[in-house]
Amino acid sequence: MTGTESAQAAAPKQSMSGAGKATIDVALRLGGLFAAIVVVAIIFIIINPNIANLNMAGSVLRSMSSVAIMALGLTLVIVVGEIDLSFGAIYGLAINALAVLWIVNGVPVYFAMPIAILIGALVGLFNGFLVTQLKIPSFIVTLGSYNLLYGVTLWVSNTATYNPAYPPPGKTVPQGELDFFVGLTQPIGPFRLSLEVIWMIGIAIVVGLLLHRSLFGFRLMAIGGNPTAAALARLPVRSYKVMAFVLCGVLAAIAGVLDFSFIQTSQPNTGLSATFPVFAAVIIGGASLSGGKGTVIGTLGGALLLAELQLGLSILSPGAHVQQIFLGAVTIGAVALDLFLTKLRKSRSA
Amino acid sequence: MTTPVLENGISLRGVVKTYGATLALAGVDLDLKPGEVLGIAGPNGAGKSTLVRMIAGEERPTLGKLTFDGRPWSPVDEWQAVAVVHQEPQLFPNLTIAENVMVGRENSGNSRPKLNPSDAAVMDALGIGHLKDKALEDCSLATQQRTEIARAVARDSKVFLFDEPNSALTAEESDELFREIHQLAKSGQIVVLVTHRLADFVAHCSRVAVVRDGKVRIILEGDDLTEDGIARQLVTESVLSASGPERNRDKFAGAPDVFRTRGWTHPNAFSDIDLAGGPGEIVALFGVEGSGARELLRSLAGLEKSTGSVEIGNLSGVEALNKSTAYVPATRQLSLYSNFSVGDNLLVRLGYPDIAGPGYMLKMRQMKVLAQSAVTRFLVKTGSTAQPIRSLSGGNQQKVAIAQALHAAPKLLLLEEPTRGVDIHSKAEIYRLLRDYADQGNSVVIFCTEVLEVFEAADRVHVVAHGRLTPSLRIEDYDQVEQLATDIMRLEQSSRPEAAA
Repeated sequence: MTGTESAQAAAPKQSMSGAGKATIDVALRLGGLFAAIVVVAIIFIIINPNIANLNMAGSVLRSMSSVAIMALGLTLVIVVGEIDLSFGAIYGLAINALAVLWIVNGVPVYFAMPIAILIGALVGLFNGFLVTQLKIPSFIVTLGSYNLLYGVTLWVSNTATYNPAYPPPGKTVPQGELDFFVGLTQPIGPFRLSLEVIWMIGIAIVVGLLLHRSLFGFRLMAIGGNPTAAALARLPVRSYKVMAFVLCGVLAAIAGVLDFSFIQTSQPNTGLSATFPVFAAVIIGGASLSGGKGTVIGTLGGALLLAELQLGLSILSPGAHVQQIFLGAVTIGAVALDLFLTKLRKSRSA
Repeated sequence: MTTPVLENGISLRGVVKTYGATLALAGVDLDLKPGEVLGIAGPNGAGKSTLVRMIAGEERPTLGKLTFDGRPWSPVDEWQAVAVVHQEPQLFPNLTIAENVMVGRENSGNSRPKLNPSDAAVMDALGIGHLKDKALEDCSLATQQRTEIARAVARDSKVFLFDEPNSALTAEESDELFREIHQLAKSGQIVVLVTHRLADFVAHCSRVAVVRDGKVRIILEGDDLTEDGIARQLVTESVLSASGPERNRDKFAGAPDVFRTRGWTHPNAFSDIDLAGGPGEIVALFGVEGSGARELLRSLAGLEKSTGSVEIGNLSGVEALNKSTAYVPATRQLSLYSNFSVGDNLLVRLGYPDIAGPGYMLKMRQMKVLAQSAVTRFLVKTGSTAQPIRSLSGGNQQKVAIAQALHAAPKLLLLEEPTRGVDIHSKAEIYRLLRDYADQGNSVVIFCTEVLEVFEAADRVHVVAHGRLTPSLRIEDYDQVEQLATDIMRLEQSSRPEAAA
């Protein structure tokens, strides 16, 4: 009782002048992120002017795309105030399920691909069901399904690697299907930009419309911002949470299918190491783990910055340790920047 | 300030507290003497909580001074001298009772602290010695409160503040608690009691200070200390703003009821409630915490499982509750979205087709127009609709919370203490919003703990006590809020022995 009263009494203290301050903050935050992307690029170019070419830019975009697609799915889950740790395992399961169905069992790729994506949806449904109906915290549910799915992947794939161009003895992959599948991410145009980038952009536009321009996104933000109020206002809290998990699973599976098309080799443990970079991309993009905050453009920026650092450092640096150290430092730095900006705004308005 | 400060005890002289532009305490003079139980009464938002927080050391005065035994005193630095026993104990549920008593006073060194004999004696004296190794979360509320007292006694607190300590206790537990409270006073400690139950003031306090509009209006003692006396003091003068909107029931004369419950029963809060409200009518449910009034309101919003029949318009049962009601909780934290702007907060309960068109895409321009018109219609004072919700004053935030619910176009609007912690001006505007909404042919039910709110906002009031509803009182039969307060108090009391039987 006493707490609320003082909070209410203290409210008028804040200035009333900040029209659109929230929007300005988001803009500032994004501005900072994209400024960082440019600065990092300039530093790399100064160190090694040879990398300043459009092929290199295309490579950065290609290498960010699967991370970005997964990160967009994760953004939806984080906006609604939950956590998903299992998308990397979904990605791996989708690749291996597709490989086994298509290459080993001869299911035409036109059917095997939708099945792989459907598997992603079902895992999302499973996660969402456990979180909303059994009320198990999403961190625990998805930590569990991460391990569970990895186990299923090992089982399904028989811990083997597959390549549609070199099927195992006794199996054949029709040339037409192979061409179609590889064509999904083939390089196009004068700069040999992979089609995967176009897929990413298309998906980003769809998710962007969904999150920022649709009723679904509006309510997703509301539920993430104040789940209790949303429940009292009879917003469809549970079904929207389930939808967020399903979309996250679908996008992870799509990312897997596209990467398999590009890399053409499946491995049983593929995708697991993507978990933390994808999280980092979402957090660097300005989403808040407490829910109700996150943008598609921010998440894309986060993925771009990471891809840029990773590729640039792998060309310039003496070893993998530097990339890893940067990944950590940038993640913490981005959140520190967030807190600093929030504090700055509060001191400005007080 | 001619009164000398006390040689023994706490004196407040000219204490002023402001939060930004809001004046919470406007010059308080108060003496707290050792060995007595002092009651502090006051309506919500009158500064009572701030005063208690000040004595507890959770706030520093903006102006004025506090003295303890004649010397300047800052409870912020001597926090262990003051113990606050809250309605919800502020303890460590995962630790045992003994650990709760010891925590914060462990000896230096790294060994796990052991219970020393004096702590054990304190716990025995309070009758919780035998429970010492039980985890706090497994104990009853009464035991938890006793643990909080033991903790305070063990660390030599000199001041004990009891903030609504017995509202969730049974009558027996409550008697026991008051025995402890008197024991503390007898041993020379300063004891302060804050409660909504006026009877407890009369039975247990030697003096009662009534706080209104940031000042101590009067200190009642001796023969003046009666429930009636306190009730009158709580409401006088502040009714000046009660000119209020016209009540035009005639418009809906003879119209059928908007909602009606029969045999409406909750497993442990209320039973067999027949409640009805017509169009244009604002019905108040008056009751203290634990009376069942709050649960009754929430049950009409479908938030508490209840049995019996309910009809709203031409719907009935759960469908009626889910489709035709909207609920505004007492705390704004439960209805506002801090990540949203003022405009988005106003529109959040809307859906297709109001703010979303084909394919459930948002109509951005339409939203702007709707938000702007809602700001005007609901008298929200804001620079723009894009402003963050937290930049608004408490009263304006509350208007947004209510506007949100009105957007759902409920036949039956349910509000919990709609003007808690709201300034007088916003209060009047909120009452006007409710009246306007009722006049469109809807019913409004509010849960109140303040007689003044009932008087200013409602057409009828039911007193809820021990899960039962009394026959309603018509507000228009009363010229003065004091009379209403007296009658409400009488109704509340008359239903008491019945429950004890």
